[in-house]
Amino acid sequence: MVLRIAIATAAALAAICAALPAAAHVSEQGLVLLLPTEHYRISGVLAVVASILLISMAPKSFVTRLFRPIDIAGPKLPIWVPELTSLVALICFFTLVWIGVTGPRDPLTNLFPLMIWVGFWIILFSVIGLSTDLWRFVNPWTGLCALLFGRKSAGLVTLPTRLGATPALAIFIAFCSFYVVDPAPADPDRLAVIAMLYWVLTLAAMAVFGASEWMRRGEAFAVLFRLISRNAAFGHGQARRVGMPGWDLLPSQPLPLSLGLFAVVILGVGSFDGLKETFWWLAIIGVNPLEFPGRSFVITSSLIGLALSSVGLIAVFASALWLGSRIAQAGAPDAPPIPLALLLRRFAPSILPIALAYHMSHFLITFLVDGQYLLAAIGDPLANGSNLFGLGQLRVTTGFLNTTVSVRAIWLTQAGIVVLGHILAVLVSHHAALTLFQTPRRAALSQIPIATFMVGYTFFGLWLLAAPRGI
Amino acid sequence: MTHKINRRAALGTLGAAAGLAGTASMLPGVARMAHAQGSGPIKLGFQVHRTGIGSAYGRWYERVATAAIERINASGGINGRDVEMIAEDDGTDPRRGAEVLERFSSLHEVDAVFGPLFSHVVIGSAPRAGELQMPYFVVSEGHHVASGILNRYTLQPGITDVKSQVISMAPFIAENVGRKVTMIYPDFAFGHDHRDFFTEAIAAQGGEVIEQIAVPPTETSFTRYFPSIPRDTEVVYHVMVGPAVLTFVREMGEFFGGRGPALFGFIDSLEAVDVTSPGLEFLEGSYFWEGMARHAQADQTAHETAYRAAVGVDDRGASVDDARDVSTYAHMFGVWETLAVMKAGMEASGYQGPSDRPALIEAVEAMSDMPLSDDHPQGGKVFNGRTHQVFGHQNITQLQEGTLVQVHRTSIEDTLYDDEVDYTTQAF
Repeated sequence: MVLRIAIATAAALAAICAALPAAAHVSEQGLVLLLPTEHYRISGVLAVVASILLISMAPKSFVTRLFRPIDIAGPKLPIWVPELTSLVALICFFTLVWIGVTGPRDPLTNLFPLMIWVGFWIILFSVIGLSTDLWRFVNPWTGLCALLFGRKSAGLVTLPTRLGATPALAIFIAFCSFYVVDPAPADPDRLAVIAMLYWVLTLAAMAVFGASEWMRRGEAFAVLFRLISRNAAFGHGQARRVGMPGWDLLPSQPLPLSLGLFAVVILGVGSFDGLKETFWWLAIIGVNPLEFPGRSFVITSSLIGLALSSVGLIAVFASALWLGSRIAQAGAPDAPPIPLALLLRRFAPSILPIALAYHMSHFLITFLVDGQYLLAAIGDPLANGSNLFGLGQLRVTTGFLNTTVSVRAIWLTQAGIVVLGHILAVLVSHHAALTLFQTPRRAALSQIPIATFMVGYTFFGLWLLAAPRGI
Repeated sequence: MTHKINRRAALGTLGAAAGLAGTASMLPGVARMAHAQGSGPIKLGFQVHRTGIGSAYGRWYERVATAAIERINASGGINGRDVEMIAEDDGTDPRRGAEVLERFSSLHEVDAVFGPLFSHVVIGSAPRAGELQMPYFVVSEGHHVASGILNRYTLQPGITDVKSQVISMAPFIAENVGRKVTMIYPDFAFGHDHRDFFTEAIAAQGGEVIEQIAVPPTETSFTRYFPSIPRDTEVVYHVMVGPAVLTFVREMGEFFGGRGPALFGFIDSLEAVDVTSPGLEFLEGSYFWEGMARHAQADQTAHETAYRAAVGVDDRGASVDDARDVSTYAHMFGVWETLAVMKAGMEASGYQGPSDRPALIEAVEAMSDMPLSDDHPQGGKVFNGRTHQVFGHQNITQLQEGTLVQVHRTSIEDTLYDDEVDYTTQAF
């Protein structure tokens, strides 16, 4: 009781005794505010507008040719290879969990949280988005499942087809709530317990519903990475093809609705993760941006914001699709109306390049700073003073956030990634429109609201990068 | 010579010297579960802002703490026992701060805790320290310790508080810079502290705050506030903080065009920021409070030279590994000096284990003079056992051709004020 009273009054007391407000990487933010980001932002938005105009005139054959992948020659990868690598990954995972539980409590010294939040969530996510679905090789389940249940185990119960990938979506939302909202997502012990719990539950679900079925529709990261890898040069990896990034976003069949929604939620969550740090959001929830009280004080508002951003993005995107469809059909009253669900399923892949771009852009500075901590922890995985690969003595620096030249380079890289993501999205969306609407004119008309959405989102993304932040 | 230290290396030296057997000593998880009572290492819990808004400070506090612990161990530890530092991240969050103290007490069974900087974390954590009867050595420069709102287990012996810092600036400003002062400050507690403490202090020196300009914390452009500065202002006292501080300085410089009043600010605005950053050229000639002068002075003591080398900081206050990586130099010495006081207190009380915690508190309360030494490289200090607050010299530097040159060093007397509490009357 005394503790509760103490904590409840802490903020109020701090208000009469504040000593030292600050924000992480204040120098970097200060330098960004001095950069002519308004000009950069206008340039970025104009680049997307120009690409929309150019692409809207492009015939389907051009877009199809642009995205046509090349078959890769050579022998097919034996099925035991990803199983073997998965077993190796399983051993690594257990070792990391053990380090998480027994290692130092400092989240920037303990290898486990660094591997999860930098190695897995930032690096692996981005590498998969650019190359192919490597999760098939490094997930800690499929190898063990093949050993335990055999390769073709159908499980004990059939996962209802009508659920689609809803289980994976639900788990993904729970995961995002944890990393965006939890007061201490990098706490080594807790994170290790949560990761182990998820591993056990997933293994159990694979036993019950069948390994491949659960990986296809229930395991959140398998579904997430299969979606994100559609952006990649090698696609999601099943077809052994390589092409321009994004070629695998043009499926012959529309996505299942649950996967379409999944794609939009990835972007919604990523957007809110950036938005919640801005002065703008902090003002809405009544927090002084120069005196952020701590994550534990904003749990409810962050949960609400997370839900609103995902639902809101689905609503805005769906509205743009519906409006586009109405405009396109206006001149063709005899054409049958296209259901909203089909529109979502067809156009949702165009969200994925933006989701990948936001992820890479948002986490670039975290990658540059915490990536150093990860290297140092790899050099001394047991935190016992060892110095593997000469990395154990690495001293982390944030000096590159202290000069205009490097801060400008980082900002322009982030902005460039966001703009490229949107241009790719416009291309994919245009292709989807050409597939869905009979004539190029109607396809182009259908894109007016969607293009407006894309331009608006480009503006939003670049504004996020330039906005002052309080966390 | 630069002596490069590393936190992991420091931790790695602990087990063997402490006599813990075999491989268990090499496993930090096992080591941290071991009980510290009379034998084995002295365990000090380091409550660190590893993540959250304090992380820029936390990184440097951690570096200094590691260097200080290594130095203590190299000189024989405490009472013949090595010191083990156990770091827990509080996320710069008061709720987590209280939880961290629970873990230090029940899981790690540390002997004492040190390290937090941010006021709201200290205020949120200190009551739990009192309940757990855990000596809690804060390094936050907040006035909360000496104001009497905390408890007997909470002490601030390694860094002065903001009240004494602010009031000690007044004599120099009134004497050498100007007596008609306009204050520009962010409109919340941090700014209000400066406004209230300084307005009273400058009046006592025959000066006057002729205008107080409170700027909303969300502001990112400031030009509309400058016309409110009265024409007869002789000094602008500014304490803006946050990401817009570089913009503030540039806009103020553009407004005055080099012909305005003298400028005085707290380095808190620019802590860990390179003073040669673009926009800051307008600060040339302006004055700063610095707890410890970031740039090495011509008469730097041998103690400070040794301290810079130990923590890996060059003469410009930046990391020896990366000249662009500017440290939180004005504040982080507090960690070094706090650990020195903890060692001295444990040795004076013959500390053996948790049952000696009250004796440790009493030993620190009994301290008074802390002379300039390797233990106190920032300078001599006087500890007030009744208020649990240390007092020391403050520095005023002037930015001259990109270097912060010390132009005044206050006496300790300039920093004193009447006691507001006597913690020694509280029961343990």
